[in-house]
Amino acid sequence: MNTEPPPLPGQSIPDPTEAAPVAGVGGTLEALLRRPRGVLHHLHEPGGRRLTGLMLLLALVGAAAYGLIVGSFSGGLQWWAAPLKIAGGLSLCGLICLPSLYVFACLTGSTARFTDVLGMVAGLLALMAVLLVSFGPVAWVFSQSTESVVAMGLLHLVFWLIATLFGARFMHQGMARLGARSEGAFYFWLCLFVVVALQMTTALRPIIGTADTFLPTEKKFFLQHWGDSMRSADREQPQ
Amino acid sequence: MTALVSPASPRQLPVLLRGEVAPVRSWVAEGNLARVTFHVAVILAGAGIYGAAIGLWRSGEQGLFTAVKFPLILLLTTAGNALLNGVLAPLLGVNLSLRQASVAILLSFSLAATILAALAPLVLFLVWNVPPLTSPAVRDAYAVIQLSQVGLIAFAGIVANVRLLQFLRDLAGSRAVALRLLIAWLAGNLLLGTQLTWIARPFFGSPNLPVQFLREDALRGNFFESVLYNARRLFTE
Repeated sequence: MNTEPPPLPGQSIPDPTEAAPVAGVGGTLEALLRRPRGVLHHLHEPGGRRLTGLMLLLALVGAAAYGLIVGSFSGGLQWWAAPLKIAGGLSLCGLICLPSLYVFACLTGSTARFTDVLGMVAGLLALMAVLLVSFGPVAWVFSQSTESVVAMGLLHLVFWLIATLFGARFMHQGMARLGARSEGAFYFWLCLFVVVALQMTTALRPIIGTADTFLPTEKKFFLQHWGDSMRSADREQPQ
Repeated sequence: MTALVSPASPRQLPVLLRGEVAPVRSWVAEGNLARVTFHVAVILAGAGIYGAAIGLWRSGEQGLFTAVKFPLILLLTTAGNALLNGVLAPLLGVNLSLRQASVAILLSFSLAATILAALAPLVLFLVWNVPPLTSPAVRDAYAVIQLSQVGLIAFAGIVANVRLLQFLRDLAGSRAVALRLLIAWLAGNLLLGTQLTWIARPFFGSPNLPVQFLREDALRGNFFESVLYNARRLFTE
């Protein structure tokens, strides 16, 4: 016989799939893809920090794995530089944007703790990394069959945008769960995250092609860098 | 329950950010010295971190100078206008004592400093990515830094004042009265704050001027005179 009292008016009935445990790297990966609400639910439970740690690990390993595929285009130094830059750059983006996300969450009335927001950012990065890895085989095929840095750059950019879109969906659910009363601050933060990430690819260049130095000697805005890259590709195009 | 947050606890900051009126009302009413000290420390740390980030574009020394000057402007504006703001509150129909008015303004500056501290990593990233002083594109870099600072500081200021307005509206029971007092406070703080900012220049510094804690002619002229001069030059030359 069911002895549990009925839920109070206005109180939501907990979804049993949300409460199902999320264990291990495989379980976290599966939960991120199949039941992101479950991940968000467990972030507030005891053991939430372990889950955050697992997602950060997933993000780092996944980004480094995708970096290997990116590095395979140029080979040489890029075999280790591209994984390092992509994993490091993604983490740095999360770190730079984390304090502002917490402040924006609070401004929208959310009662989120800093660790809750950290967990959401870890989930965003992990989901992005997992999606990027799943695009890996396609990216690898193109890496081996084209010599155009611009074409590869565009392809990686499209994959990254798709990954960000799914990551943003996860974050959106998380913000609603944390009691945010408006969406404007979230979308503003998302724009900041996208701009920081795009600029990061320019700040850490070269990631796809080659250069004499590990990091650039000239500072550029990412749109300016893209323009310069396209112009130099036009000049190199065989007539 | 959030009203019971310890006077020196950082858990006050999310309460301020969320704009929870009831706890803020009790904090303003009690005027606890430990709480005031905590918020002064938040302003020193938060605005200091932000100041350091903007000054670093120029040099480490300028970063240190701006980290000291920027929070001081907020604190000196609060202290310098304490009497005026305390007098204006009852005159415009809001029942706040001089001490309570000062605490309310201090809390709004503390909120702005918290937002600025959260934006400091973004500013550091910007500073890392704009051309350095040695680059031919230094003028563009200077303009980017200047415009971004105006935008970010304005954002923090607007949010802090919206929260202050919510508190005043609750206290006055009328939006019109609260708005009138906020505008009066803003006008006073703007007048003193802009002049203190003028005296304390440079913050990241014009690229063709040396790094200094204060300019040699710090006390010469004023902000409004400079704006008028530049506007006249723009339209007559």
